[in-house]
Amino acid sequence: MAVITIEGLSKRFGDVLAVDDLSFEVDQGTVVGFLGPNGAGKTTTLRMLLGLVAPTSGTARIDGRPYRALADPVRHVGAVLEASSFHPGRSARNHLRVVASAAGLPFARADAVLAQVGLADAAQRRVGGFSLGMRQRLGLATALLGDPQVLILDEPANGLDPEGVHWLRGVLRHLADQGRTVLVSSHVLAEVAQTVDQVVIIARGRLVTQSTLAALTARTEQLVRVRTPQAAALRPLLAAKGIQAHPDGADQLIAVGTTPEAVGQTAAAAGVVLYEMRAERSNLEDVFLQLTSQQGAPS
Amino acid sequence: MTRLVRAEFTKLRTTRVVYGMAAAMAAFAVLTVAANISDRQGAPPLSADSLPMLVGGPVTLLAGAALLLGILGMTGEFRHHTVTQTFLVTPDRGRVVAAKLVAYPLAGIALALATLAFTAAVAAGWLAAKGITPSMFDARLGRVLLGAVLAAGLCGLVGVGVGALVRNQVAALVGVLVWVLVIEGLLMSLLNAPSLGKWLPSAAAAALTNPGAAHLSRLGGTLLLAAYALALALAGTRLVVRRDIT
Repeated sequence: MAVITIEGLSKRFGDVLAVDDLSFEVDQGTVVGFLGPNGAGKTTTLRMLLGLVAPTSGTARIDGRPYRALADPVRHVGAVLEASSFHPGRSARNHLRVVASAAGLPFARADAVLAQVGLADAAQRRVGGFSLGMRQRLGLATALLGDPQVLILDEPANGLDPEGVHWLRGVLRHLADQGRTVLVSSHVLAEVAQTVDQVVIIARGRLVTQSTLAALTARTEQLVRVRTPQAAALRPLLAAKGIQAHPDGADQLIAVGTTPEAVGQTAAAAGVVLYEMRAERSNLEDVFLQLTSQQGAPS
Repeated sequence: MTRLVRAEFTKLRTTRVVYGMAAAMAAFAVLTVAANISDRQGAPPLSADSLPMLVGGPVTLLAGAALLLGILGMTGEFRHHTVTQTFLVTPDRGRVVAAKLVAYPLAGIALALATLAFTAAVAAGWLAAKGITPSMFDARLGRVLLGAVLAAGLCGLVGVGVGALVRNQVAALVGVLVWVLVIEGLLMSLLNAPSLGKWLPSAAAAALTNPGAAHLSRLGGTLLLAAYALALALAGTRLVVRRDIT
């Protein structure tokens, strides 16, 4: 069952079409990575989903309703949007108490979520003195305040050190294990690849693909890296055999979806000199880059 | 709604702004009492009736403090981006602005009453030291307090309204200062007649804070300032409800 439904969503800021007829769904209990390069429209999409930005057209719904129509949004949906949205003079505990009092939650929840994100010791410190990593943790604590079943996180790994990213993965996995639905955006697939069940990839405001992580992994390909002084001559020869190859520097080619045997035989038949051949496999990040750069120029 | 007003008070209590302002007001109150007692040129000598005059010293500044509280309370949300979290908790933005329109005038009134109580204590002590026993139950004292409460409350409303309209904290503060110190003065001299100038917002506030020198009655000033506050609050709310929070 779809918890989050984005349908024909568009947003225009002046001349810029930030989100362009975007549609996708997030099913209950799944962890979905919302991926795309910087400026692809991820943040704008999430802000429309949360009722902060009005769509130019289309709809974004949570459990069938626009966010603004949810009866008790904090107990329903938790969101982390930007790392710096705290008053610098307020302590972490008081920041959470402000949110708790507006949401009608008991103050005790503040200390509970601080412990949950490992900030119990910093409860009374002013947020102004927090590191970026601590702010991200406090943001997550705020999102968890109402113990919501749906979590929407915008670039939660931004500014985290490797230890922080490791911590974040653990938290996401833990939340997923509890059966919560999580939509987490990132511009780096590797940050979320170990945690997500599915990915929604967008570029220039448009949907590129929505698939399971397994399907994306299946798109990785066998590559042959060839070093030759005759790269320019070898390329059309490979193409004639139906093997695609991209130049990589002046004397290297990367042949896609083939084997060293096939490349070697083609080269030998034409008398092309090879210095080096290496079989590789493209990784997820390559697939991601390929998918997001393939998109045509904006109309 | 009560919950949202309480949340606004929690916000106010958990930063240092309001404490700093209270300290500044207390210091200013002592200064006005000292100035009014020591500088008696052309004024009637100190007597048991001097208390209302002494207590009234900080009233104008207290109206300004309420204005400042309103502006800071509204624009602070945008300055520190806390508005995102605020609207996530309460997506009905009109209710958030309404809660601020209740909370900050009340905070301004509380600050005014606390400061005036402190001022009265200082003044009464000073007069007592000079051998004068001031009369505490003076109708004029009641009028000073009423004027202060009305001015602080309405100026707090104006502050929230201006904050919602302008959103940028520095622009709102500078804008209000320029309006009061420059534009109203220019308009006053351009209009060249107190009969028109008395309809300006500052003149309406002055009818409450300094009724002796004003051209409007207290009721007139109250109604006019309330009209300005309402117009600003409505326009500001409309804008905040519609604008994207990016």
